[in-house]
Formats: sequence, C-alpha cells, structure tokens
Amino acid sequence: MTAASDSRRTSVALPLRLYVGIVGAYVALIGWWVYFFSRLGDNLAAQLAANGRALDPEQASALRAELGRTARMFLFEGGFLGLLLLASVMLVLRSLRREVALGQQQRNFVSAVTHELRSPLASIKLYLESLATGRATGEKAARYVSHAQQDVERLESMVEDVLTTRQLDEGRLRAQLVPLDLAAWVREACARLGERYTTEGVTLRLNAPAPAPVNADEQALLRILDNLVSNAVKYGGEGGVVEVGVSSQGGRVELSVRDHGVGLPEGEAAALTEPFVRGGDEQVRTRPGVGLGLFIVRELVAAHGGRLRLRSASAGAGTCAVVELPRAAELAS
Amino acid sequence: MSSERILVVEDEAHLAEVIVDNLQLEGWQVDSVSQGEQALERLLGDPPDLVLLDVMLPGIDGFEICERLRASGSRLPVLFLTARSSLDDRVRGLELGGDDYLGKPFELSELIQRVRAILRRAEWSRSPSPVGDTLTLGKAVVDFKSFSARTGERVIELSPKETLILRCLAERPGEVVSRRDILDTVWGYDAFPTARTIDNFIVRLRRLLEPDARAPRYIHTVRGTGYRLTP
Repeated sequence: MTAASDSRRTSVALPLRLYVGIVGAYVALIGWWVYFFSRLGDNLAAQLAANGRALDPEQASALRAELGRTARMFLFEGGFLGLLLLASVMLVLRSLRREVALGQQQRNFVSAVTHELRSPLASIKLYLESLATGRATGEKAARYVSHAQQDVERLESMVEDVLTTRQLDEGRLRAQLVPLDLAAWVREACARLGERYTTEGVTLRLNAPAPAPVNADEQALLRILDNLVSNAVKYGGEGGVVEVGVSSQGGRVELSVRDHGVGLPEGEAAALTEPFVRGGDEQVRTRPGVGLGLFIVRELVAAHGGRLRLRSASAGAGTCAVVELPRAAELAS
Repeated sequence: MSSERILVVEDEAHLAEVIVDNLQLEGWQVDSVSQGEQALERLLGDPPDLVLLDVMLPGIDGFEICERLRASGSRLPVLFLTARSSLDDRVRGLELGGDDYLGKPFELSELIQRVRAILRRAEWSRSPSPVGDTLTLGKAVVDFKSFSARTGERVIELSPKETLILRCLAERPGEVVSRRDILDTVWGYDAFPTARTIDNFIVRLRRLLEPDARAPRYIHTVRGTGYRLTP
C-alpha cells in the first residue's frame, strides 16, 4: 500500500541549516574583507613611509586599480551572497508558515477528536447512569441500551480511522487483493448498510446492473463504501436518498456514491481528501467528524491502483464521490 | 413538583434525549431543539426559565446565541453544556453572559445539582429582597430592580452581578460575608470565577458608590475572609 503523502511532513531543519551555512559564509567573507583592507592599509602606510610621505604616480595608479578591482569583487560577491541570503530567508519563512499551518491543522484535529470523543462519551455515560440507578426501565431502558451501542460504534469507528491514518502514514497497511465482482459485492454490502441507515430515515438506492470484475481487498472496500455512504448520509440532508452505482468504463470500473445535500464549494474537492481537512461550510463543520474519512478512502483506493474523484455541480447541489478501479480479467464464474 | 421550564439546545440527538428524560424525571418541564436559529427564536419569543446551551451547533453557535440573548436585554440563565471545555472557551462563555459551564462528559447528578443551583439563584435574584428594593449608601441609592444606582442627579448603570453582590451583602448587614459565600450566592455551585473576581467587582463598586474609594465607609474588607457592608 502506498504511504500517505509526505507533503505535510514539513520541517524547518533543512532550510534552517542552509540559512545558518549561508550566514556563516557571509560572516567569513566579511572577516576576510576586513583582513584584506587592514593589509591594504598597512601596505599603503609602509609605502608612504618608504617614499617620504608621497606615492609615486605608478604606485598610486596601481593602488587605484587594485582598489577598483576589490570594489567590483565586493559588489559581485556581496550581491551574490546577499541574494542567497534573501532566498534562504524566504525559504525559512515559507517553511515556518507551513509549520504554523500544520500545527494549526493538528490542533484542530486534536480539538475535533476531543469533541468527537466527548459527545458520544457524554451520552453513553448518562445512558449507563440512568440504567444503573433505575431511572430508565422497560422500553426506555431497551432504547437507551440500543442508543448507547450506536454511540460505542461511533467511537469505535473514529478510533479505527485514527489508527488507519497512522498505519497509512507509516506505510504499514497492506492490501490483500482478490478477484471479485464489484457489482455483486456492492449489492450485498448495501443490503447490510441499508438496514443500518433505514432507521435514520435514509434510503440507499442501488444501481449495479452488470458484473464489474476487479482485484480488491474486501476489508478495504467495505471501509471505502462505508465511509462514502456515511458521508453522503451525514451531509445529504435529513431523510435523504443516497444513490450507489457500479459501472464499467473501458478498462475501468467505477463505484459512485451520490447525495443530494449541501454539495461542495468550488475548488474545495481536492483539499477535502487531505487528512484533517473538513469542508468550510457551516453545515459541514458542525456535523460530527474529524476530517479523516475521505483521506482514508483516497489512500485505500490508491492502494488498488485507482483514484478518488469528488464532483459537485455547484454548492447546494449534492456531492458525487467516484472511485475508479482498474477492471480485472473476467471472473471464471 | 417544580414547574420551571428548561430548554435543552443540543444537536446530538442521543445526548438531548437522555438529558431531557432525566430533567423531566426531576419534575421540570423540558423541551429540546437542535438548531441555533430555532433556539434563538424560542429563547427570544417564549423564554424558558433556564437554557442548557451546547456551543457547537448547526447554524448560529452557542456563544453567539448567548451574546445575542444578552444584547436583547434578556437575563435568562444560561448553562453552557459542551465538549469544548478549554479554559479559553470557559472564560469566553462566562464573559458572554453565561451563568455556568459544564464540560462533556459529566455526571447526571452534577448536571441536576447545577440546574437546581442556577434556578435557585434565578429565583433569589427575581424575588423581592427582605431588605427592600433599594439600598442607601450615603448619597448613593442602589435600586435592585432596575440594576442601577443614583448619586444625586447622576444615574449609574450596574451590571446584574454587581447588583447581586450588593444585594447579597445588604441582606446580611454588618456581618462578614466570605468571598466563597458571595461566589456561591451570586455565581453558584462550583463557580468558575475565583475569589479574586469578587475583589475586582468590589473595587469597581467602591469606585462608583463610595465617597472615597481608598478609604471605604460602606463596603469594608475583612482581611483574609471577605466583606462587610455597613449602610
């Protein structure tokens, strides 16, 4: 499986070393210039003394030429090193900016995870306390147990997302590819997922008419489908319809998950597949989540040699997530 | 059976359910909403006796709801109930006019205790004071009902907390009232502000009401304990 993008592993160490090196060179050069000038002064003084406080014209001309050469050298070398210094400062500043942005992103992540952990924990705690103290009995008790289980599942899924991200980061996650018919597999998986979402008033509409052979890891596929459907449910509005489709296009097989919800603001699609990034829309930021789902999907799809695309006609017009996988040879049966 | 009305503003359906059920078991009339706009509309149109307010809400967030509520002149007690429990968030919540702040997850008993304390305080601040509606300190006359003081022709607006601190001291004239007692009476159970907060309020009150704030005649400091009012 491919390792997660290294782009966010920025460090200021290299530009800083470069910066220190250039500053060191600059200081050494200035030191040399000072030494050179002091020598020049000494020579001039010696010659003045030797000639009874007067330079002969030849010596004066040679000295002027020497000083001219030195001045040009100063101009060239100083200017060149000054430019290098400027470039290094810019590099350091850019790295620092990236570092600050990364720090902010990580703080947001910690804050989001904390929030996401605390909310279900709070309800589990109150459900259990109500059950333990006999404040909930009969039907209410059964409902509390069921809701507490759902909250535990939510926590479990979040912990799983964080662990998967860690494994992706370290390149430790491996895909076990087996040949399968994606259309049949999605039909079966949607039947299971459908049961879960029906209670939330969501309808899963499936369109997978023809066989679509792929080589895939079933665990990874389940994660991909679950994350995409869960996103579609979360952002698709209340009592919405989520359309899941499987189709073949030339040498590719496409799995699509479409909702009719808030959609994607223009230019946000690519950023949303980066870790810890969430949509800027108010309706998105206030929904549960820490910004790992689409990143995990992107990486799992990449491990199958495929790619993830997010489309939205316009903000407010729903979102369509398309997973493209290479089509495998026809299955034997 | 108590009949105070409580509105729970919480977008986590499970949490809202279990809070509403348990507060109803305590005898309160409890209702819940999950959206910021919806909450503000209810709070301004048909205000309950207390609102439990989550901070992260779809639409207008809890802080903004509290800010708008206070801007409209409402003194409705607000208990923030949120997973955002960093010090900054707590301070911001209280600065915006929140009465208390409870971080998730919390114990049911703690929630009930705080709700009771806030409602008791609200009741106390609404009820007529046994010492009357006004307090005279020399030339200054403090009106507990209008949250103001008059010194000659000058009318000074007092904040609800300043008024309640004066009322708390006035109801025990000549007695030493500890900072802790003031915190418990005015702010409430396990109040977030420290005892130093009281000192800051007292400094301001002296500046407004005493003829010479450096040599107070009415609001005396009892070193290491609290304050005594001698009208």
